Amino acid sequence: MNAITPNTPSLPAPVGLLAELTHRCPLRCPYCSNPLELDRRSGELDTATWQRVLTEAAGLGVLHVHLSGGEPTARNDIVEITQTCARLGLYSNLITSGVGGALAKLDALYDAGLDHVQLSVQGVDAANAEKIGGLKNAQPQKLAFAERVTQLGLPLTLNSVIHRGNIHEVEGFIDLAVKLGAKRLEVAHTQYYGWAYVNRAALMPDKAQVDQSIRIVEAARERLKGQLVIDLVVPDYYAKYPKACAGGWGRKLMNVTPAGKVLPCHAAETIKHLEFWYVSDHSLADIWANSPAFTAYRGTDWMKEPCRSCDRREKDWGGCRCQALALAGDAAATDPACSLSPLHAKVRELAEEEAAETPPDYVYRTIGSNVDRVAPPPLKEDAPL
Amino acid sequence: MTAPFPTPKTDASQRLLGPEELEAALRDIGARRYHNLHPFHRLLHDGKLNKDQVRAWALNRYYYQAMIPVKDAAVLARMEDASLRRVWRQRIVDHDGDAPGDGGIERWLKLAEGVGFRRDYVESTQGILSATRFSVDAYVHFVKERSLLEAIASSLTEMFSPTIISERVAGMLKNYDFITKDTLAYFDKRLTQAPRDAEFAIDYVKQHATTPELQRQAMAALTFKCTVLWTQLDALYFSYVAPGMTPPDAWVPGTGLVAEVAQAAGTGTVRSSDVPRLPRGVRLRHDEVRGQHVLLAPERTFDLDANAVAVLSLVDGQRSVRDIAVKLAETFVADPDVIEADVLVMLNDLATKRVLER
Repeated sequence: MNAITPNTPSLPAPVGLLAELTHRCPLRCPYCSNPLELDRRSGELDTATWQRVLTEAAGLGVLHVHLSGGEPTARNDIVEITQTCARLGLYSNLITSGVGGALAKLDALYDAGLDHVQLSVQGVDAANAEKIGGLKNAQPQKLAFAERVTQLGLPLTLNSVIHRGNIHEVEGFIDLAVKLGAKRLEVAHTQYYGWAYVNRAALMPDKAQVDQSIRIVEAARERLKGQLVIDLVVPDYYAKYPKACAGGWGRKLMNVTPAGKVLPCHAAETIKHLEFWYVSDHSLADIWANSPAFTAYRGTDWMKEPCRSCDRREKDWGGCRCQALALAGDAAATDPACSLSPLHAKVRELAEEEAAETPPDYVYRTIGSNVDRVAPPPLKEDAPL
Repeated sequence: MTAPFPTPKTDASQRLLGPEELEAALRDIGARRYHNLHPFHRLLHDGKLNKDQVRAWALNRYYYQAMIPVKDAAVLARMEDASLRRVWRQRIVDHDGDAPGDGGIERWLKLAEGVGFRRDYVESTQGILSATRFSVDAYVHFVKERSLLEAIASSLTEMFSPTIISERVAGMLKNYDFITKDTLAYFDKRLTQAPRDAEFAIDYVKQHATTPELQRQAMAALTFKCTVLWTQLDALYFSYVAPGMTPPDAWVPGTGLVAEVAQAAGTGTVRSSDVPRLPRGVRLRHDEVRGQHVLLAPERTFDLDANAVAVLSLVDGQRSVRDIAVKLAETFVADPDVIEADVLVMLNDLATKRVLER
């Protein structure tokens, strides 16, 4: 694999760069996709390094840059970074909570050439939303932020992460998106990595609730055709086939952490044996082609059965490696979200059991916590097949 | 239903049923076999069908409506009694109307148009399922070949239709935003016509089914008619609900529709005179690394072919769709109308995805 360069036809160029500018965030959502060990401010890349990374990304073929975090507007140089994207022709997407200093910086971001805003909403009812996000008075800030986005004429996407604490509000999220003038709504059922894995029992909805939420979305898509585009991410544990995580490992996406570590997906650090390279030591092109973390699960050579001989192996690329490790104890196993995994029935059973129990309290996201030890252990097969 | 259950057996060797017993036995057939019990009708009335499935129903059912006067004319032709004919001919008048633009068939066409079909496509019946045609034709043949008693008895499904019609109208108005009260005008008339027709027919059957054998024939005729209706829904279910096996030549969604409907992208329909533009957050860009043009939009990228690039390069917030088509027609030496049709399809698709405005 080391011989592969970005110009090799078999290695497509990445289309997206997820720039996690900082892990700092005023919200404390219990399903946050950031790692359990969060980077501190002192370790964050400086402005010049981000500008170099963006320049390398544009040269490599990246088209979309997702300015994310944490809360990206917590960075003092967010406007400068956005300007750099615009200058390089990169499509800039601000993934924001809309709280804290976000609104104060919005007009400057617009002037800097920001292309799109994705705003998270934790709930429709303010009290519920603020309980989930762990921040009082967040909802009015979010609504004011959304209003300014559409006033400026920026396209707005609302992102709602769905779990048992807000699954009854799906219809409400749709109404809210219409009311706020959003063009897109993401109804994204929680993916159980990172903080969501720790909080799984508190977040897991039951099958009937999930089915109902899907029906509501389908009806609304028809009703609001041409007005609101709704993207639906269905929950893995109740699915038949897994998702192609990040469009396939090392195929479309690069993720740069606040400290400059480059990951094939935002959860990849949970796979402890992988060797990640840093932007301080290597160019982005070198990392894309040669970093051991990127080559480890790229393509299909690493696959075991049933993936290796499966017709879908180049559709879902074996699903999520991080979920395979978390649930099956082996990052090269078939993602147990797949019905062809020997652990699939157990995963489904586990989800139903957790959904039936009284939800435990949330373990809120914090920097410097030590919650690794409360994460659920992998499942075991009862007997070899 | 308060009908006795199960239907009394009345073969030639058994006793003659009294008139009320006969009527109860006939009603019992409907209680167990009428198509309001069919899963397709449950889906229709509960709002569980999508727009295309409702269209398939309206299109196929048109053939049944259109053949009803043919069927009734065949029954009429066998009546030697003028007083009978005077009553029966009213059915033909109800369906055909006294003038163009009137009558039950016309109202069904309005319903089909209401869900987006072109009138001429519906009238051609070219998209209906073979099973629809076979079932309806079997009904016409039946009334020609069997006794007059059986022909009249086969019409008795009308005894059950007011129930299904009120369920249907209420259910469809409640559940489908594309169905209006005007679209369903057909059923308003039938609510009064059907009971009047059924009353005459049931009296006739009670009077003329004077032996156990004739009573058995009348019940068999009504059972047959229930089957005619039921098999039509079986075929619709099989082709358009599950497993979704549509036979060759049968209607496929997206065809036979009025041009505006076919092109419509919900509320975001772009028309010839509109001036389209790419809003903030949607950009046409050349991707040097991959050597192609792309349209960058929120959370997605569209790969563009040469034609799409030619169109989008002219989308500048100044030119109308017509201007764009005329300009392209000059460049490619082609018919502007043909080009415009293609441009509209493409722009409407982008409008539906919320990446193009006008």
